[in-house]
Amino acid sequence: MMFRTRLLLIFAVALTAAVGMVELIVSSSARRAFENMEARRVNAIVAQFDKEFHRRGEEIVRTVEGIADSAAAREIAITPDPSAYLSEAGKFASTNRLDLLELVAGDGAIVSSAQWQARFGYKEDWLASEPDWQSRPAFLKREELPDAVTLALMAVRTVVAGDMKLYVAGGRALDREFIASLVAPKGMRVLLYRNLAPGFAPSELIDAGGPVASSSLLRPLVEQVETQRREAFGTIGHGASAETFHALPLQGRDNDVLGVLLVGNSLSDLVQLESSMLRTAVIVAVIGILLAIVLSWWATARITRPVQRLAESAGRVAAGNWGATVEVASRDEIGQLAAAFNRMTHELVEQRDRLVQAERVAAWRELARRLAHELKNPLFPLQITVENMQRAREKYPEQFDEVFREGTSTLLAELANLKQIIGRFSDFAKMPAPEMQSVNLNGLVAETMRLFEAQLGKAGISASVQLDPALRPVQADGEQMTRVLRNLILNAVDAMPNGGTLTVRTVAVGAGVRLEVSDTGQGLTPEECERLFTPYYTTKTHGTGLGLAIVQSVVSDHKGRISVESEKGKGTTFRIDLG
Amino acid sequence: MAGFGPAATRPHYGGTLRVEIRESPPSPEVFGVPKGFVLTTWEAGRRAVFTADENAPGGRPFLDNVDIQLARSLRDQSVDLDLGKADVVELGLAELRRHAAGRRVWPSSPVRLMALVFGPRISDARVREALALAVDRSAIHSVLLQKQGEISGALLPQWITGYAFVFGASADVAKAQALVASLGPADRTLSLAVDDAANRSIADRIQLNARDAHLTVSIVPTANADVRLVETRIPSADAPHALASVAIAFGLNEPAPARNPEEQYLAERALLDGYRVIPLFHLPDVYGAGPRVQGGPVIDQLGEWRFDSLWLEDRP
Repeated sequence: MMFRTRLLLIFAVALTAAVGMVELIVSSSARRAFENMEARRVNAIVAQFDKEFHRRGEEIVRTVEGIADSAAAREIAITPDPSAYLSEAGKFASTNRLDLLELVAGDGAIVSSAQWQARFGYKEDWLASEPDWQSRPAFLKREELPDAVTLALMAVRTVVAGDMKLYVAGGRALDREFIASLVAPKGMRVLLYRNLAPGFAPSELIDAGGPVASSSLLRPLVEQVETQRREAFGTIGHGASAETFHALPLQGRDNDVLGVLLVGNSLSDLVQLESSMLRTAVIVAVIGILLAIVLSWWATARITRPVQRLAESAGRVAAGNWGATVEVASRDEIGQLAAAFNRMTHELVEQRDRLVQAERVAAWRELARRLAHELKNPLFPLQITVENMQRAREKYPEQFDEVFREGTSTLLAELANLKQIIGRFSDFAKMPAPEMQSVNLNGLVAETMRLFEAQLGKAGISASVQLDPALRPVQADGEQMTRVLRNLILNAVDAMPNGGTLTVRTVAVGAGVRLEVSDTGQGLTPEECERLFTPYYTTKTHGTGLGLAIVQSVVSDHKGRISVESEKGKGTTFRIDLG
Repeated sequence: MAGFGPAATRPHYGGTLRVEIRESPPSPEVFGVPKGFVLTTWEAGRRAVFTADENAPGGRPFLDNVDIQLARSLRDQSVDLDLGKADVVELGLAELRRHAAGRRVWPSSPVRLMALVFGPRISDARVREALALAVDRSAIHSVLLQKQGEISGALLPQWITGYAFVFGASADVAKAQALVASLGPADRTLSLAVDDAANRSIADRIQLNARDAHLTVSIVPTANADVRLVETRIPSADAPHALASVAIAFGLNEPAPARNPEEQYLAERALLDGYRVIPLFHLPDVYGAGPRVQGGPVIDQLGEWRFDSLWLEDRP
């Protein structure tokens, strides 16, 4: 990844993270504030509910007490045959605006029922279970009606006349009218679930307008309150339609949960607030990212341009231009780096010059040494021959002619030798540039091997030529490549004085070709292999040490590569790869 | 029982007695003619006017005319009586409970049968028997009927046959529940229609009793309900004739005329087997009279009108 891209990413991530964190903190604070406000509002609603609940309870108690204290109730209490009073409860209820009213005899049998007239004679045993109804406040009760069950706020009072007793049990239904009397702030609503039968009944979840449409969403919350008998909280819906609910159990005389009061608070305001904050954060983040791009562009331009120039200069150095330098445009770390780079390349150039000079001196010395060595050998016989001839003329004139003949013959031979030595040095010095043309290497090998057939046979060397028929022609100088092959073959012949096997092999390697010349001679040591292509280096007792140097020079001029592989006692293989 | 005005006056002739009834006979022949009167006006479904027969065998009645309004609901009759728009009306269950108010009331012997009659949809006899066992007749009789009439499990009343008490009429909720338990869920639901709205409270009680037996009874206004609460008049004190009439009225097979009480009993038993009809009560005709009406009674034991014994006391 580019440094510029990395810098941009770091800027963007850092900015986004910062904005996100701020948004998170602000959102969290807003939510907490909202929750606190919601808690206060819920408490107010619950308090209002309690107050209304108690107010209505007291009202019902007063009404029921009024009925119980009436002369009519007393008359019913003392009558031995109450059957004539079947409709009395209905009249009382109508007059006193009660939804429910039952007049029940001391034995628990219903004398008259306003809500279910047909239930006369049925027993209401729960009335006898309470020893003193006079001091009991109103309570919640599940009350059965002919075609339904309702939840009612009830009160019971007794009429006692001698040993006769009459229970007056009256109340009002806890219905949507009751819910409508509770004033909820904007965004809040009050629901009542009437637990009238086992299992959740959607129709019993009501608000001031009647059954609630989305009752099934509140089912888990209602069931949780019914099971745990304590307050519970929950959220329904998603997004702007989300709503939190506080659910409170409404318990009856036996502490059974007869109803659940649900106070709902719409989260739309909070969601809108959070949405607005999120929008703002996104806008800020986008602007920040754009800013980051510009800043990082500017910053990286200042930082990476010198670095890039430095990298380009380093590339030029790697390519061989050791004198490459960079502009020092600042005095900061990058400027110091550039100056150090310039110092380094300057040092490199100086060292190279020094090295070249030293190598040149060494080469001249080596050349002088080799020349001295090569020239010394023929010069010594020359000197001896001339001295023999001088001595013969002075001391043995009669033999001078014979000595002269032999001497001149020797001189001519040694001079020819000197000429040959000088010619080799001259050839090495005059190595021409290759003239590239399409060359069939297989043909070149076959032709060259034919020239050496006699020499190889005389040296007791068997030849093995392995030519790859798939070999394609290569661009090469045929004459120079022939010279290379000859040198390698001659080297191999020299390496096998006692005979052996010479193997010449061509192989197609990818798009190029490979030429291998192997012998089964004494082989070379690793040290010898390393120095093998050094001019004037030879392992033989004769020769100038220029053969393999010429081979390497030709291969190099062909953009090829030569390598040697040898094992002491087993032989040597020269391998040439040409593109 | 019969009541009399606190200060009876001497009989005198004249005046038109205004009577209202809930029945609406299709023809004057079915309606019958009160003793001592002749039919002078017949408006089917609305009105019948009888005029005193000057040549009546027992002498001319005191009243000049009897003007009878037909098809008048019990509630309207009661209101008309209270407002002085009618002199003699039938009294329904609600009015019976106002008996203590001092109104003059004449009940007949039990001449009407109130029963539950099943339609053809309820083919399982266990359903019908369960409902028969669920109904608590005594509570209805004591409270809703104010002890008027008789509890009965028979088609004909005790005073006609003498064996009505043999037919069981007591409730057995446990047995009814056991029967219902053997039914499928669909068979546990019934619809009940009430022919006369005045009997709605009785239907409500039957519905409640049925619920105790785990039967679900819904009261519907339609005539083609599974079961109907109906009343029918027993037209004769002659048992075979009365049984045949009742059987026809309830859609049962008309029994062969019985030659003795044993055959009569077996014929009635055969009609009730299968619980197609569940007799509940034998009820009297109960008439109430306004303060103008003197003499009486208004009806005899069989519920026949006895307008010839009445006269009117004109009051301001």
